[in-house]
Amino acid sequence: MYFVQILVNGILLGSVYALLGVGMTMIFGIVKLTNLAHGEFVVLGAYLSTVLAPMLGVDPVVTLIITVPLMFLSGFLLQYFFIGKAMKKGAEPALLVTFGLSIILQDAMLMIFSADAQHIVASYSMSTIKIGELEISVLHLVLFAISVVSISTLTLFLRSTHTGRAIRATADDSDAAALSGVNVNRVYAIAMGIAMASAAVAGLCVGMKWTYYPSSGGGYLLISFVVVVIGGMGSVPGTMIAGVLFGLAQVIGGANYGLLISYVMLLAVLVIKPKGIFGK
Amino acid sequence: MSDKRLQRPVRVLDSLPMLIVCIAVVSVLYAVCLLRIASNNAMRYMIQIFLYITMGQMWNLLSGFAGMTSLGQQLYIGLAGYSVAIATAKLHLTLGVGLVMSVAVSVVVALVLSLLLFRMEGMYFSIATWVVAEAFEKLFLSWKYVEQGSGLTIRVVPYPKIEEICAVSLTVCVMSIAVVYLLLRTRTGLGLTAMRDNLTAASAVGVNVFNHKLLVYVIAAAFTAVSAGIFFVNKGIVYPESGFGISWTVSMIFIVTIGGSGTVSGPITGAVIYVFLQELLAHYPGWSNIILGAITILVIFFLPKGIMGTLQEKLRFEIFSAKRFSFAKHK
Repeated sequence: MYFVQILVNGILLGSVYALLGVGMTMIFGIVKLTNLAHGEFVVLGAYLSTVLAPMLGVDPVVTLIITVPLMFLSGFLLQYFFIGKAMKKGAEPALLVTFGLSIILQDAMLMIFSADAQHIVASYSMSTIKIGELEISVLHLVLFAISVVSISTLTLFLRSTHTGRAIRATADDSDAAALSGVNVNRVYAIAMGIAMASAAVAGLCVGMKWTYYPSSGGGYLLISFVVVVIGGMGSVPGTMIAGVLFGLAQVIGGANYGLLISYVMLLAVLVIKPKGIFGK
Repeated sequence: MSDKRLQRPVRVLDSLPMLIVCIAVVSVLYAVCLLRIASNNAMRYMIQIFLYITMGQMWNLLSGFAGMTSLGQQLYIGLAGYSVAIATAKLHLTLGVGLVMSVAVSVVVALVLSLLLFRMEGMYFSIATWVVAEAFEKLFLSWKYVEQGSGLTIRVVPYPKIEEICAVSLTVCVMSIAVVYLLLRTRTGLGLTAMRDNLTAASAVGVNVFNHKLLVYVIAAAFTAVSAGIFFVNKGIVYPESGFGISWTVSMIFIVTIGGSGTVSGPITGAVIYVFLQELLAHYPGWSNIILGAITILVIFFLPKGIMGTLQEKLRFEIFSAKRFSFAKHK
């Protein structure tokens, strides 16, 4: 029974890690950019929900109605007018621009929100339900539901809409996509928008699960990296499986050894299959 | 080729007069260090500049010349800090032995890691280097012998005088510049830049990619370690977070980007600017990273080759050039 409990907790938590990775994998796979500011986007999403929930007097999950479109728009504009310009200069300048962006955001959030620990509290944060001998936290179930809904929506969007097909075509071969009439810069901007929107969702989830600080971004960035690289860059199913593996490592290893286990896991994957489990 | 500028020759400043200038500058710096001409405060800045030049030079060697953009050089900084601390506080050895130990440990770790890291290229390599550094941080956080998270004090008896630290830092710095410069002018240097520009093509024309990478990676680990060892003597204590933190890489990236990636003179300029900027920004707490970030972004957009890279291009000269001949002579 203990084993099942660990498995369930690992899978439920893993969905949050998968969510962290999804935004990163979009940018890697489609825009071919290493976005070092992704962690700060997640923290920004967390702060937006933290501020908005008491302001509107609603459950934190409801704030997504505002934060998701807001972050999507910011991501779109950021890529279209800013990062896209840097990408024309090459891969390394673009990487360094996102790096500059990450330290700017980090200190800006520090000034606006102070260095205090933050936590998003919902009415069900502490409650649990019992199924037989299994004890499951309601919060974990809510986070799992949010993750599954957002990742499935994204997968459906990529699979069956016109824009989704244009995005996948660009990911496969941006030159060929451009020749067939896809506006590649617009696709990149949409991809960054989706990445930031997913960061808003992930931010809400990590903010409800753990305490966070303006400086937490680096940690989330690293987790997203690990999840994305284990799963294979650009692969959404790979990211989900890697997220669950990562979640299991955290539950088994605890606070101290959990990360160490997942780092060793990552390095092992890189040695055996350098492009990730689902990598092409 | 209608652009007039392209037809003007590039002057490579590497002849005897340049050597004399370099020797003169270094001698003056030694004199300032050893004869205590500068105040203690000025010496402290000089030490910082020398050490940051060394670290910047090494990051530039990896990223700017060999195309191995590492986000994990802090691994060797942390290892060096702990080597010095263990040598002096636990084993009661001298500082010199501690520094030698830090280099030895870093070289061994670099050799072992190369087997793992060199299987990856591009951003996979960057991420893997960072993950390795983080993994070591977690390891040291839970390792009892090094006092886990509470840090390890460095006990150097007798404590070296500031002019000694200054002279040693200068020596390390000059050596690092000389090694990078001389390395780039050999056959190996040509192989490295070929690898950076196109790995497959370089390998096809007979560049032994693994050996070249290994050489650069080990040199970078050794020099980063020795400069970090000196750094931590000044600090007096090493924590897992201060040793293996990503902020070291932040500094290196800033120094190299501002100065000019892929030039030997770039990191020198970048380190001087970085140390003064840091001092200036200390008066505006909270703003320092915002300003550093904004400067990085502005430089990338408007001076993509960095200060020295842009100056050299506009004024058609090159100092510490990797080129073995000047085009001017062949005109």
